[in-house]
Amino acid sequence: MSLTISPNPADRMNKVLPQFTAQLPDIIRRNYGRWVDRKFHGNGIIEHISETGDRVFTVKVGLPPNSRLSTETLKKLLDIADNYGLKVIRGTRAMNLEFITDSLDKALKIKEEVEKLGFPVGGWGGALWSVMSCTAYLTCTTAVVDAPSITQVLYNHLKPYFTGEIELPAKLKIGVSGCPNQCAGGIAVDISIVGHYGQAPKPDPERIKFCIPTKAEALKTAIPQIAAVCPVGAIKVFGKPDGSVGIEVDDKKCIACGRCKNVCDYLDWDPNKIGVAIFVGGKASNTGTGPRLGYKVIPWLPVNPPEYKEVVAAVRRIIDIWRSEARPGERLGDYVDRIGVDEFIKKLGVPVTRHNRMTPQQWRYGLRQFFSQA
Amino acid sequence: MSRNERKDPTSEAGNTETIAIKETVTAEARPLSDLERGLRMLEFLERGSWPSYVSELRKTKYPIEVYAEGLARKYTPWLSGSFRVRYVFSGILARRSRDGKYVEIHFRTYAPAGRFYSTSYLRKIIDVAEKYGIGLVELAANTGALVINVWSDKADEAVDVLRNYVSTDVGGSGDTVRELYACPGPALCEFALYDTLSAMDYIRRHPFVYQHLNNQLFPYKIKFKFSGCPMDCAMANSRADFAFIGTWVGPHEIDQDLFRKKVEAGEVNPKELAESCPSKAITWDEERRELRIDESKCVRSMNCIRRAFPAIKPGRNRKIALLVGAHVQAHFGPKLAKAVALLDSVEEAMPFIGKVMEAYMDYGASKHRIGDMIYKRGFKVISEIADKTLPSKPRGAPSTHLRISIGAVLTDDERKLYEDWAKSLVKEYFGEG
Repeated sequence: MSLTISPNPADRMNKVLPQFTAQLPDIIRRNYGRWVDRKFHGNGIIEHISETGDRVFTVKVGLPPNSRLSTETLKKLLDIADNYGLKVIRGTRAMNLEFITDSLDKALKIKEEVEKLGFPVGGWGGALWSVMSCTAYLTCTTAVVDAPSITQVLYNHLKPYFTGEIELPAKLKIGVSGCPNQCAGGIAVDISIVGHYGQAPKPDPERIKFCIPTKAEALKTAIPQIAAVCPVGAIKVFGKPDGSVGIEVDDKKCIACGRCKNVCDYLDWDPNKIGVAIFVGGKASNTGTGPRLGYKVIPWLPVNPPEYKEVVAAVRRIIDIWRSEARPGERLGDYVDRIGVDEFIKKLGVPVTRHNRMTPQQWRYGLRQFFSQA
Repeated sequence: MSRNERKDPTSEAGNTETIAIKETVTAEARPLSDLERGLRMLEFLERGSWPSYVSELRKTKYPIEVYAEGLARKYTPWLSGSFRVRYVFSGILARRSRDGKYVEIHFRTYAPAGRFYSTSYLRKIIDVAEKYGIGLVELAANTGALVINVWSDKADEAVDVLRNYVSTDVGGSGDTVRELYACPGPALCEFALYDTLSAMDYIRRHPFVYQHLNNQLFPYKIKFKFSGCPMDCAMANSRADFAFIGTWVGPHEIDQDLFRKKVEAGEVNPKELAESCPSKAITWDEERRELRIDESKCVRSMNCIRRAFPAIKPGRNRKIALLVGAHVQAHFGPKLAKAVALLDSVEEAMPFIGKVMEAYMDYGASKHRIGDMIYKRGFKVISEIADKTLPSKPRGAPSTHLRISIGAVLTDDERKLYEDWAKSLVKEYFGEG
């Protein structure tokens, strides 16, 4: 790979966008929009049947947390796609990998080959579809807790749910986000684990100056961004008598949303007070009771790397309750709604404080705003 | 290029760090340093049954010591850095470690719609990641992009190589239009009600959107997502400022003969099917052996269609539901989308999208999403634009936004309460100790 031309850098103003049509194998182009049915072969293989009689098989493979792959490993996966697949793979919304091939034999061969590399196959039907993770400490500046390591231990514990060795009542999606920005799927997933400060931020006395104006004069013309982004007005930036600028955070008003941290790196916190909140029952799909955001049933749990026993135990408890009581096909959110969120919290046994006292919610979102129930 | 030949300052700092570990290990009397504790944690994370990201990181030139130390301290090791490549105003993110020793640059690259990657495309990406970067990719990132970590001194050339050799580009970060996302739609799925992939390509290339791909003119980010059916695999309804979800109006297509065959074959239990309909729109006439759907009650949950496809199919009068204002990350917390109109094609949405983007630039406060603007100014900011740009389209009745707080400030007593509960759970699931 070397460039024989020397492009004009100004051309970069116009972005080059990749074409999806160039990526698709012939058989998919021929049957584009003509699929009529599907069949499941075990937990991780789907057969797509076209009206032309053509068949395509997808094999779903779990990836390491945050879908991080070394090029060395990716090459091995691509070799499998070249040898047994249609020379195409797909990165899914839920951070899994799909191989596409044209016969069941080849699909089973792909399964065998990726399992040899240590990658599990599964994630469809009544199963754990994925544990999504943000990058957190790998590259992120706002992360409070580390999501990939939590995801890793969760996957290690929950793998039988992914591969289908243990069945679940319905689809289960888990998201692990390092901070309230929730880059891992938001709280519209069945179980969302979100890191948060659990405390008001403390401005770093020396370096906070990089985030506020130097002279009190400047405050007359504009509110500094660090104060403007606070949704509850807990951050006060004020002029001092000597003409310099001071900053204060009101602990009573603060909701630990982390918005200020998004615009300023120099806010500090006590690592012993950070934790995760767990939201239960969110989903994106219009199935069952419709799309909804999760309920904050556990407002805080301690984070203790690398085993994160508290988080793992809480997630397993939630899954255990759901597994033993849900009807077949009932998503976690639908189950929680059927028995009532208060009842669910009671079963969970989690202490109720002002942070997880629930008000019943009406969920009429997504397409249901167009189709009202008579 | 071999690992040893690299002259990047970050890898040199990495070497001195490694020597430092060896010294502390020999001094056994001292307690473990944060780095040593972190490295032990990483060893633990490599021992599980699931493929480990730590093992993947070790195969690359990622500065793993930085990550290990952060993990042990429960403190992200990265601060924002600034990094410029000529004429590139989105898509490149720079970090520096707190101790100032490491720099980390990564590119977000545009993905083909539906994220179908041919192996030849990915092999080119691998070439770039190895020659210009540390050999690490994030294959299915949450923005929709494919992420490549690169060296700072090679980033400029890497941009040209991505553009001219791979035929993609860096983009989708900052206060701009982020990478769009579409479900696989007609390429693989029988439920797709419109062509999500072409729709995404069309909008990404449309001048209204394309002109903003390389600037930072908005108060905050804008996201587009395309789902082919009400099951919303692209999570458009919860994550996209502009959500396009396939649906239909009018009656379902029911093949009664095929349905009866499915009943006789034991594939479908009609009573159970009627019972499980979330809006109780289905009745089964035992005498005439006929299924009836009360269309006025149907909320498009896809329950019957999924169970009895293709005997029950979506209706023929296909529509694309346009919703706005959903997001995860925003000033007033996460929100779900609000209904705007039912369209016949994505093209029809463009005047609306253009006007909403203008309004967002005019009225949106810094770091407010479109949903925040609606929360602050009322839905009329959207409905007035829809009245003008989508005059004859059926409209929805938008629900009210909920206000949800993600974090919480806890008192020490409250923390103790949850800590004790967690301890009892741990005992239950992991036993003593």
